[in-house]
Amino acid sequence: MYKRLELHNHTTESDAVFTCRELTDFMAADGVDAFALTDHNTISGHYKVREILEQTGIPISCIYGMEYTTYYGHILCLNLTEYVPWENINRHRPELLFQAAREKGALAGIAHPYSYGWPFAQGCRFEMAMTDYSCCDFIEIFNNPEPLHEVNEKGLLLWEKLVLEGWHLAATCGMDLHGNSSLHGHYSTYIQGDTGGDIAKELADAIHSQKTWVCKGPLLETKAENGCLCFHLHQTGKPGYEPLPEERYLVTLRWAFGERTCRLDERIPLSAFGTDTRVIPKLFEDEDILENLVCVSPVVSL
Amino acid sequence: METQMQTIYHVEGKLCRDFVGQISYTVCLEQAYEELDIEFTFGPRHFQPGEVTEELEQKLLTYCKKEYGVSPSTKEELEDALYHQMKTEIHTLAMLNDEFIGGIHRQLSTRHMHFTPQEATEGCIPQPSMEGVLKVIILAFSVLSDNTEYSLTVRARQ
Repeated sequence: MYKRLELHNHTTESDAVFTCRELTDFMAADGVDAFALTDHNTISGHYKVREILEQTGIPISCIYGMEYTTYYGHILCLNLTEYVPWENINRHRPELLFQAAREKGALAGIAHPYSYGWPFAQGCRFEMAMTDYSCCDFIEIFNNPEPLHEVNEKGLLLWEKLVLEGWHLAATCGMDLHGNSSLHGHYSTYIQGDTGGDIAKELADAIHSQKTWVCKGPLLETKAENGCLCFHLHQTGKPGYEPLPEERYLVTLRWAFGERTCRLDERIPLSAFGTDTRVIPKLFEDEDILENLVCVSPVVSL
Repeated sequence: METQMQTIYHVEGKLCRDFVGQISYTVCLEQAYEELDIEFTFGPRHFQPGEVTEELEQKLLTYCKKEYGVSPSTKEELEDALYHQMKTEIHTLAMLNDEFIGGIHRQLSTRHMHFTPQEATEGCIPQPSMEGVLKVIILAFSVLSDNTEYSLTVRARQ
């Protein structure tokens, strides 16, 4: 089964308006399978949400995390079980903090890399000199409230560039929820999992294998079969998304030295990709423009 | 009889414009406490009249255009950016015996981190016993003006 995740959320433990209980209720009411608790520089909400879930039995899982909100960029940590100090952040060696978090078993990724920083919000833009992306697990390619072209498109293009260079980076998205904002019409992160499965493990497996979908409703599944790449559509039923007839969807494929657009029912010979071994599939409605992008699928490794 | 909160540490200081980084204060707690309160205050948060020069306005406009491709379209937008969005931003974090016990990341110029065994300020974790070594870290993200004043007070009750 697919699980819908909301991976970037704040509470009154930092600077948002929902208490831990309100956030839990809000996510459950929208049918989210698991939500991350990623307050700025605090893990004080972890024990509160644990207690809420134990005492109420609300059918939702929590991914415990934190948004390392540094002077030079924000780092999302998921599956964080203990606080890892960040205060000695070195903007020229950010890898050290990523490594420290990962040594504790956490997943570490770059949040909203192109958000506006100074003079509006010092530290919101990722301004650190990252050179070794092997210590980074994922990039938040869509931070839903941010401007589409000025911020999110750049994040998507950064992820695509790095992936096509060979870095193993998963794509995620998040609401960066600070208030009572509808989740409808926005991207969620989807992974594969089992009913009653351990969400921390399922998330770690998905991130490590880059099997994450960033999606508004329809999931694009890909499969290499008989020398061809073929596609299948899975409608998740995400609230607020109205599915279209299949013929109205378009698939784009991007690889290091090429790009093409095709219909869902086409089969693309693997030879079309030449010697490239990594292909990024995306799904659009009607036209392959960013405004119509509805799903970024896991990288296909040939 | 319940004892009163006692001030066990107080410090004041000034930050210079554009300082980014942290200042940490380590307080050796000489006994075990049942209640602890860390108060941090700073100011001013925003530019004062006369501090916004034409040079600063131009720097802001040039930077936003170059880095973000945006420009304030009206005088009101520019003034909103200068007088409301630009701010001195300082947060606080506390460790007890090298364990994280709380962080306050909210846009406040005065904040408390209050701890008892049962309750704590949002952002903080209740502490069954408060003894050992307390470290308070002041995290300066942005300081707009020279001579930005701050003060830190640690109070405790046995």
